[in-house]
Amino acid sequence: MRDIMHLVGVYTKTTARSWFQYRVDALLRSLAVFLRESTGVIVIYFTLLKFDNLNGWNIHELLFLYSLLFLTYGIMIIFFTGLRDFGRMVRSGNFDRFILRPRGLLFQLIFANADWFAAVGHGGLGLVLFVISAGKVGVIWNFKTVVYYLFAIMGGVLIQGAVFLFLATLNIYLFETSSLKELFYYNMRKFAGYPISIFHRAVQIIIIYIMPFAFVNYFPAQYLLRKEDMEGYPQIFLYLTPVVGVGMYLLAYLFWKFSIKYYKSSGN
Amino acid sequence: MDFIEVKNVSKVFRINRRKSGVTGMLANLFVPKYEKKEAVKNLNFSIGQGEMVGFIGPNGAGKSTTIKMLSGILFPESGEITVGGFIPYKQRKTYVGSIGVVFGQKSQLQWDLPVIDSFELLKAIYRVPEGVYKKNLDRYTGMLDMGGFLNQPVRQLSLGQRMRADIVAALLHSPKIVFFDEPTIGVDVVGKETIRNFIRDLNRQDHVTMIFTTHDMQDIEKTCDRLIIIDKGSKVYDGTLPGIRERYGTTRQLDVEFVEHKEVAPIPKVEIIELDNNKKRFVFESHEVHINELMDHLLSHYNIRDINISEPEIESIIRKIYSGEYL
Repeated sequence: MRDIMHLVGVYTKTTARSWFQYRVDALLRSLAVFLRESTGVIVIYFTLLKFDNLNGWNIHELLFLYSLLFLTYGIMIIFFTGLRDFGRMVRSGNFDRFILRPRGLLFQLIFANADWFAAVGHGGLGLVLFVISAGKVGVIWNFKTVVYYLFAIMGGVLIQGAVFLFLATLNIYLFETSSLKELFYYNMRKFAGYPISIFHRAVQIIIIYIMPFAFVNYFPAQYLLRKEDMEGYPQIFLYLTPVVGVGMYLLAYLFWKFSIKYYKSSGN
Repeated sequence: MDFIEVKNVSKVFRINRRKSGVTGMLANLFVPKYEKKEAVKNLNFSIGQGEMVGFIGPNGAGKSTTIKMLSGILFPESGEITVGGFIPYKQRKTYVGSIGVVFGQKSQLQWDLPVIDSFELLKAIYRVPEGVYKKNLDRYTGMLDMGGFLNQPVRQLSLGQRMRADIVAALLHSPKIVFFDEPTIGVDVVGKETIRNFIRDLNRQDHVTMIFTTHDMQDIEKTCDRLIIIDKGSKVYDGTLPGIRERYGTTRQLDVEFVEHKEVAPIPKVEIIELDNNKKRFVFESHEVHINELMDHLLSHYNIRDINISEPEIESIIRKIYSGEYL
């Protein structure tokens, strides 16, 4: 265990130092990610200037909803950069180098790479939105709500990590899955920026049961905010985020375990 | 049983044959057509501990596939591979801790960081004890004269410097067997010589088993005692370097400079090539034409200024093997 922690430390030091080699570039790239992702927030802001509220959600509540999305992504990408880039690594043969090292393959994918630009850009945006909104949405921050919030973040990280792991694993069978990721992940995330109750039933089903972003931000936010549109969903959903996260991650992990054997026999 | 045993190993790749156009793309999506390519066919060889073996063949001969199977990256389709008692593709985590792999075309160093940072990372990955790490680092960087650029970022290194750093990176954990896949590619003459000397010294001093693939025959001539040639997935030669000359290099050529220009009458089983005005080349098989008789014949019939006999270069023999002239 100490050995594992030591290696994780050295990996983290290495990725952070690589990132920090070009300081100005690092800052600008993080800022670029931050601004790119802010556009969605700006759209909401202008919408709310016209409408005052969206299905009962005011601007601060919407920003709070948004902040969960970006905080979880910012944390997730620190660990899952290697899985995001897995397809490219397989094609370039760089994944072979992981096979040649006496460590777990998934362990190496998770810890050997970290896109700190994306982490700082997304996470920074999430943090800014949280700071702006958290005091104004009527949440009483006590032990219970803070613990709930931390578990919700962890669950949200795992849900998105599971999706990345699943899509990475698909790479072993298909050649390219980046368009699938674009379709199911990034596009659905745009929906998840809004309270899902405003959407058509079909979209809601996808965002709850198929690409369950609803458990990353909507239901956790509902637990803390208790808006009226929660009536339309089972109350149990308020508590399921960590369960969904752990469950999805386990499934994705089993799929990975099974598929990686196939990788070596097919040689891609 | 030898250190490395390869028995009846075959590897077949399924290659997706794509059709062009939109309909072809759709057809490919739903009913993919695969073409089988046999990269390695029924390969057999064994290598003893401490041996240094050159492993060569033309592009696409199956060298990389074989190296990948030996290092545990790929499963063989059929047959058996054991290396030092391990089955590489089944006991990956324990096995790869005892091997080192240098890919000349693919660095394992951290591009933006000083060389030493990559070494420290590898030390943690391979769980190399501090003492061993220090000893290996000092020794190898000394042998390869690397003190000057250990603290320079990898991206600023010349190709030769980077290659030396990559070689040390593969050796820090004291592997029992090292695979070199084109470790001199793109390196200048001096750099190549440094790398060859280092590899040879390491093999002699530490008895590390080494397998060396390259397209540069000089690499082989200067380092390896034994040579395995594969072509189209099968072994075509396995033996010593001088052995290959004995077996295939029976052609001799005699360059003769005559005092004056003169026609030479045809000689049986000897090919005569006109060079300059007064120079001619006589090419023949040493077991068909006796060199003494040919020289006697020439000296007694013509006025000769200079004479020069040469054996074929290993390089040209290999070229002929690749092009199938000996099969």
